Amino acid sequence: MILARLAFRNVLRNRRRTLLTLLVVVAGYLALALAGGFIAQTFEGLSDGAIRGGLGHLQILDPRGLEGDEAQSLEFALPDGEALAARLRQDPAVLEVLPRIQFMGLLSNGPKSVAFLGTGVDPGREVRHMAVLERVADGAKAPGGAGSRWLSSTPGAREVVLGMGLAKGLGASVGSSLTLMSTTKDGALNAVDVEVVGLQDLGLRELNDRFLTVSLDTAATLVDAGGARSRLSVLLKRPADLERELPRLKALSGADARPWQEMASFYRQVRLLYFAIFGFMGLVLFAVVLLATANTLLMSVMERLRELGTLRALGLRPGQLLSLLQWEGAFLGLGGSAAGLLLTLLVRAGLNALHLQMPAPPGTSHGYELNIHLVPAVYLGAFLFLQLTLQLSALFPGLKAAKLRITEALRHV
Amino acid sequence: MLELRNITRAYELGGERAGVFGVSLSVPAGSLAVLAGPSGSGKTTLLQVAGLLDEPDEGEVLLEGRSVARLPEAERCALRLGRLGFVFQGFNLVPVLSALENVMLPLQLQGRPEGEAADRAAALLDRVGLASRMTHLPGQLSGGQQQRVAIARALASGPALVLADEPTANLDHAHGEPLMDLMAELCAEQGVSFLVASHDPRVISRASKVFRLDDGRLVGAP
Repeated sequence: MILARLAFRNVLRNRRRTLLTLLVVVAGYLALALAGGFIAQTFEGLSDGAIRGGLGHLQILDPRGLEGDEAQSLEFALPDGEALAARLRQDPAVLEVLPRIQFMGLLSNGPKSVAFLGTGVDPGREVRHMAVLERVADGAKAPGGAGSRWLSSTPGAREVVLGMGLAKGLGASVGSSLTLMSTTKDGALNAVDVEVVGLQDLGLRELNDRFLTVSLDTAATLVDAGGARSRLSVLLKRPADLERELPRLKALSGADARPWQEMASFYRQVRLLYFAIFGFMGLVLFAVVLLATANTLLMSVMERLRELGTLRALGLRPGQLLSLLQWEGAFLGLGGSAAGLLLTLLVRAGLNALHLQMPAPPGTSHGYELNIHLVPAVYLGAFLFLQLTLQLSALFPGLKAAKLRITEALRHV
Repeated sequence: MLELRNITRAYELGGERAGVFGVSLSVPAGSLAVLAGPSGSGKTTLLQVAGLLDEPDEGEVLLEGRSVARLPEAERCALRLGRLGFVFQGFNLVPVLSALENVMLPLQLQGRPEGEAADRAAALLDRVGLASRMTHLPGQLSGGQQQRVAIARALASGPALVLADEPTANLDHAHGEPLMDLMAELCAEQGVSFLVASHDPRVISRASKVFRLDDGRLVGAP
């Protein structure tokens, strides 16, 4: 305890220098905690976008469908997908099952045809659980999007919601009549006339240029699907149980089940990129904090050579001198992190209150409001990271002090 | 109590060989011995060897009959902490600790409970006449008061031998005299041996034994 007390008093001895050191630690904490909160917001936005964008928490599918393009529609589909969806809905862990038919073909307005990627969904279920209305609302702002609405649940309604880029490519707007052409699951060419009821903004330009959504009924008619479905998007009542429920639902379905993270390649790429940026930033901060604090502690040791020599003469062991410096590093780390935490909470509250609009991230078509998250794990991680850095920075001065020749230290003026 | 046998500790100083050479002496228990001699005669070097702050090139140091000069560092630390006390010319108090805390320091390093250490330190400060200055930091004390705190600190762990290097050199006459009186009293009262390096006649006059050093060699009979 005496070493801790002595270290605490030593830290307070040269207050200006201690303050400067603390500022370095505070700046490090602030940078880590705010960046962590911003990244957490980004990850949450991306994961929410992926799950509510159609993936659900997990997908039931035929894995061969992931390996390459189907030679014909529904080649690698779940043959009794609709029945399987009904069965899975009875499971107590499942909130909803959203069957999907995925198909491709040509969309024509008569003189012009454009290739598309289509998805057939259950309009009623989809609107209750997925972010379709937000996408349509954003699409309504695009040229030709006025009056946009989601697909109706009326059986036999032949409606389509187009990606904004796809509509633009065809010069289509809400109310336009178009023709969908595709192959049935037996390979025959088929066509269905549809009315554009809405435009949607899918967030990525590439998707907006190619993607359209129709009802399951329309898609099943076009590709002659019967009860077959390309895949089932499953939403869980408790998303946190995904890891536990996945193998059970996989066994129950008799098909393959994949978690949403595995299916969301964009999410995974962005996550990797952010981790790399965060890691690099951490490395730079580590170097800055390490050098600044090690320099301060070394100066403090050099100024106290005679005092340290006296302590050694009194019987303090070299290891205890090392501990003394470690305590000093620990107090600097604790003080800096505590002040950093307070400042982070203030800055975070201030920035969030400004409702700043962030520019659209690369590859996406709209920006978002800055909302830096409060993530206790990040705050704890920043504290541990800086504490470790301070302990490391105290190591070199501590070793120098521990190796002092007592007689030389006592001669020091 | 302390016996030095044929101690040699040499070092280069300004291109010349300095230190102590073949010095043998013994300090009996409860005596106040003085290492006298001019500056550069090797007093401090010998004191540092005797206090296990430095290792001799040759010779033996016997403390309470035990050869201690070449013990591992951990054992030397334990001996310095428990059996030896130090008083330095420049007082060498820890500036961030109060007078009481400075005296408590060796006891707390020994692992004594804080209350016990505080009681013992307070009693020692009272004995050296600083009962009213216990909470003062060294910077708030005069040179004489600081040296009294240093003496109390040296006695805190109940050592067998206190080594004092020019304890009055930084004190004027008014403070130096009473300090030596105090050391002589404590020596007789507590049965602690003192080995004091000094060329101050006031100090030498109070010694029960005087060893004279010149150019690193013992001269004359003690």
